[in-house]
Amino acid sequence: MKLQVKLALYNTLTKVAIILFTGLFILLSIEKISYNHIEMRLQNDEREILRSLSSKEISGYLSTQKVYTDYNILKEEFISIKPVEYKQVLHPSGRFTTEQREIDHNIQDYRVLSHRFNFDNHTYMLEIGVAIESVEELKSIIKKFTIVVLIIALVLTLVSDLVFTKFLLAPFYQIIDRKLIKVNDPMNFDYEKIKTTTQDFELLDDSISSLMKKISNLFILEKQFIANVSHELLTPISIISSRLENILLHEELSEGSENKMHASLKTLNRLKAIINSLLLISKVENNQYAKADMVMIAAVVMEIREELEDRIDEKQLIFTNNLKYIYSIQGNRPLMHTLLFNIINNSIKYNNPGGNITISDELNDDVYTITIADTGAGMEKKQIESAFNRFEKLDTDEKESYGLGLAIVKSITTFHGISIKINSVKGEGTSVTLIFNTPIPVQ
Amino acid sequence: MNVLIVEDEKGLALEVDEFLSHEGFTVEHARTKKSAEEKIFVNNYDFILLDLGLPDGDGFDLLKMLKGLDKREDAVIILTARGAVDDRVSGLEQGADDYLAKPFSLSELLARMHAITRRKHRLESNDISIKGLKINIQNRTVMFNDERINLTKKEFEILNYLVLNKNRVISRTNLTEHVWGDVLEINSDSNFVDVHVKNLRKKLSQFIPIDWFETVRSIGYRINI
Repeated sequence: MKLQVKLALYNTLTKVAIILFTGLFILLSIEKISYNHIEMRLQNDEREILRSLSSKEISGYLSTQKVYTDYNILKEEFISIKPVEYKQVLHPSGRFTTEQREIDHNIQDYRVLSHRFNFDNHTYMLEIGVAIESVEELKSIIKKFTIVVLIIALVLTLVSDLVFTKFLLAPFYQIIDRKLIKVNDPMNFDYEKIKTTTQDFELLDDSISSLMKKISNLFILEKQFIANVSHELLTPISIISSRLENILLHEELSEGSENKMHASLKTLNRLKAIINSLLLISKVENNQYAKADMVMIAAVVMEIREELEDRIDEKQLIFTNNLKYIYSIQGNRPLMHTLLFNIINNSIKYNNPGGNITISDELNDDVYTITIADTGAGMEKKQIESAFNRFEKLDTDEKESYGLGLAIVKSITTFHGISIKINSVKGEGTSVTLIFNTPIPVQ
Repeated sequence: MNVLIVEDEKGLALEVDEFLSHEGFTVEHARTKKSAEEKIFVNNYDFILLDLGLPDGDGFDLLKMLKGLDKREDAVIILTARGAVDDRVSGLEQGADDYLAKPFSLSELLARMHAITRRKHRLESNDISIKGLKINIQNRTVMFNDERINLTKKEFEILNYLVLNKNRVISRTNLTEHVWGDVLEINSDSNFVDVHVKNLRKKLSQFIPIDWFETVRSIGYRINI
């Protein structure tokens, strides 16, 4: 979930909680206050009535009618006095209840004060009631009001929070976009500060910039290192190899020494191949190659097929070229050549005599894929995973494998933005698929 | 023919010197850009072997200077450890005749020098004769008594390279690199060079005995003349 949404949600939730709490609090206290108010009135009424009991009017009424009831027009208040069982001792005050009463065929909720009193050697029950409908109405109004306020507050906070956090986080996303996502090469890093008043983002911006500075310094060091390696290692190798070649010119050399010289030359050659492969990988990874050529894939495949014809014939392989499309990519031709050469060379190297190599392609929605499939030794899942690692050698009868072929392939595909997939079944064969994601119009 | 080796690495310069002197070249050295400039200015050379990374400057500057001089036909072969494709391209564009990445084999250097000589001076006779075979490098044909021996491109290249480096054992690695180029991770230990040599010998032996075409066990081949 985005920080922006999270913050908005958090704010909304806290606001909902506060409004709910205050709403409930107001609701409860309104009930309490209005009941208190009603009860005070009822008690006043009670005292009034009890005082007026002595008046002849009511006492006379009581002695004839037994039950006295009275209410006002809207039946909001009623009073009733009726005789009940005689009791000597009485509690001095009455008690309050909330009950439903039917008065004149009209049922309403009332707050009722009941009070027993002795009068003229009889015990009477005095009940004074006040309709509490108005209180309930008030409560429901407050409820509705609370809900409306709640919804409005909710919407308002959500919207305002979203807008505000968006505004607040804008520099953050700018930093992410400009300083992290769009940076392919630390050498071309944009050190210009992103405008923000938030200190935290300034800190982030500065930290990224200083990190990039360190990384690009390391890159420069690595480039220098590569240049040094190529000069400082390859020159001595060159001297030794020339020296050995010159020694071989002397005719008095014994056959044993001559063999050893040749073996040493071969070892030197291997050393040279390893250094050159590592240099190639480093240079590709450091973007030291131009992508200035339009490379036609099918033409490169044809070229490699010609170069490798001897090896294909030697193993009596059946090479099928099923390429249907003329597809070109903007890139580095020698590198693309090396890429396809290494893949096709592997499909020869790890193939069984008399096996098949099939090259096919597909074009779907501007995405071009080329698949090089062989019927060779195949790989296990674990082997596929580590196939691109440097110096990873697969079980092979071939004596000279440096384990750098696929590492070179990997670095070249990354350099050109090509995806590579390997499917393989042990003992059945391997297929390598290159997916060219960058759409380039087909000519 | 005289050669100027512009190379700051003394060890390497001496080895190249020894090898080329053995092949009959007259060799001079220059270790710095400055001394090379002086020598190039004063003398004509058939070949200048030019290292790009000199202690006091870039070898490319020497190339530019040479191209600025009148009536000079010095052939320039760039020898460098930089090995970058870009360097190769710009070297050739600026008028170098060839480019060899260090480490290179001396026999390969010799082959390149021969190729340049043939190209530059259009030798009156492009034919090399050995044991009654006439090798025409220009047309890439081999004749025996006016009868053409049909060789493939690679078979011809192998024969030509071995003849050029006659009386010397040429290893399979060396031969592979010469014929197939400096392809990374090509399997130089594989015997697929042998297949071509076998076919070549078979074709030649239909015309003449080939006891001079020697297989040196576990190393490579040698043509003895």
